[in-house]
Amino acid sequence: MSAIRKLAGNFTEADIDDEIILMRLDNGELLSLTETAAAVWRLIDGRRDRSALATALGGDFDGDEQIIASDLGELLARLREAGLIAEG
Amino acid sequence: MAKTAAQLLMERETRVRHGPVDLDRFGGRLEPGHSHLEADSFLLHTPEGLRYFYSKGEGITICRDTAADASEENLWLNGSVYSAIACINGLVPIHASAVVHGGEVFAFTGPSGSGKSTLIAALGQLGLPMFCDDTLVLDLGEPDIVICLPGHKRLKLTPEALELTGARAEEKVGTDVDKYYAQAPAGDVMTPLPLAELTFLEVGTHLAMERLPGTERFLRTQDDHYTAHLFAVSRQFDRAAQFEHRSRLAQQIAMFRFARPWDRACFAETVAMAARHIAAAEERR
Repeated sequence: MSAIRKLAGNFTEADIDDEIILMRLDNGELLSLTETAAAVWRLIDGRRDRSALATALGGDFDGDEQIIASDLGELLARLREAGLIAEG
Repeated sequence: MAKTAAQLLMERETRVRHGPVDLDRFGGRLEPGHSHLEADSFLLHTPEGLRYFYSKGEGITICRDTAADASEENLWLNGSVYSAIACINGLVPIHASAVVHGGEVFAFTGPSGSGKSTLIAALGQLGLPMFCDDTLVLDLGEPDIVICLPGHKRLKLTPEALELTGARAEEKVGTDVDKYYAQAPAGDVMTPLPLAELTFLEVGTHLAMERLPGTERFLRTQDDHYTAHLFAVSRQFDRAAQFEHRSRLAQQIAMFRFARPWDRACFAETVAMAARHIAAAEERR
């Protein structure tokens, strides 16, 4: 599978307490990431693929592997549609 | 105690002289009830006919039509004009009133009529000195701390607020304004101090004090009733710079939501809860 990377030129971000707020630079849209979503965002390093992200998440959060993979897929799709990440 | 650079700056920039003010300065004529802000200047034409022009480095010029109410002059000067000048000079004004406890500032914000001054007067009766009324100016010059500049020291209270708080009325604020000046019951503080907390006053069915989480704090940085927009325009922020500014405020300022019934019968309980909240600030850290 392909590594997932952040498209750094498309957003700006801030850590506020345990949350991460992202803002798209093209339209100002805000995205708030909490708990698992924030953990996923922190794990995206340009080297991990989906499988590696799911494995790393599984180590940090209790839960069914299939549910984790499904939630991860939804979040990555949302981030990709917003132009914040790319795969491959 | 020596004044800070920000205090000296505001003293210098808020010098007042009276003279003509050109309402056509920025193209079309500025109609009553409107203002125009640029990176280094501010023009205001009030509904009452008062005209203010501020230019960075040159202070404030005020022009009053003969029909305008002279008593209104300081109201606008200490409110909109003071806020605009703070913004132009890189300071952050917030529509808030504040008291001091333990060498820190506890500020309460909300729209006009939300009870900021009334609460400050009542907290004064419990011994908390006032820091400012209506406009709180923040100095973000140091990266790791938010410093508050001491502001205007006279409370403006409605007759009902005077009755509720037991504060003593002085002269009327303005001919057409049903408010009276009053001294802060526990005195005031003239020293710049760090901001401890910012609390949003809201109406609710029951008393509740709630800490705001990160994202909500970020969103509330736009909710300071007119000054956020002034600051962004005066600093000529692009989207990213505005995000960075708001993030810093959200990261460094503890914020709370204080809901209370809009009912005179609950006022004493409201004040007591606010006082307990302030007294327990140290335990929350």
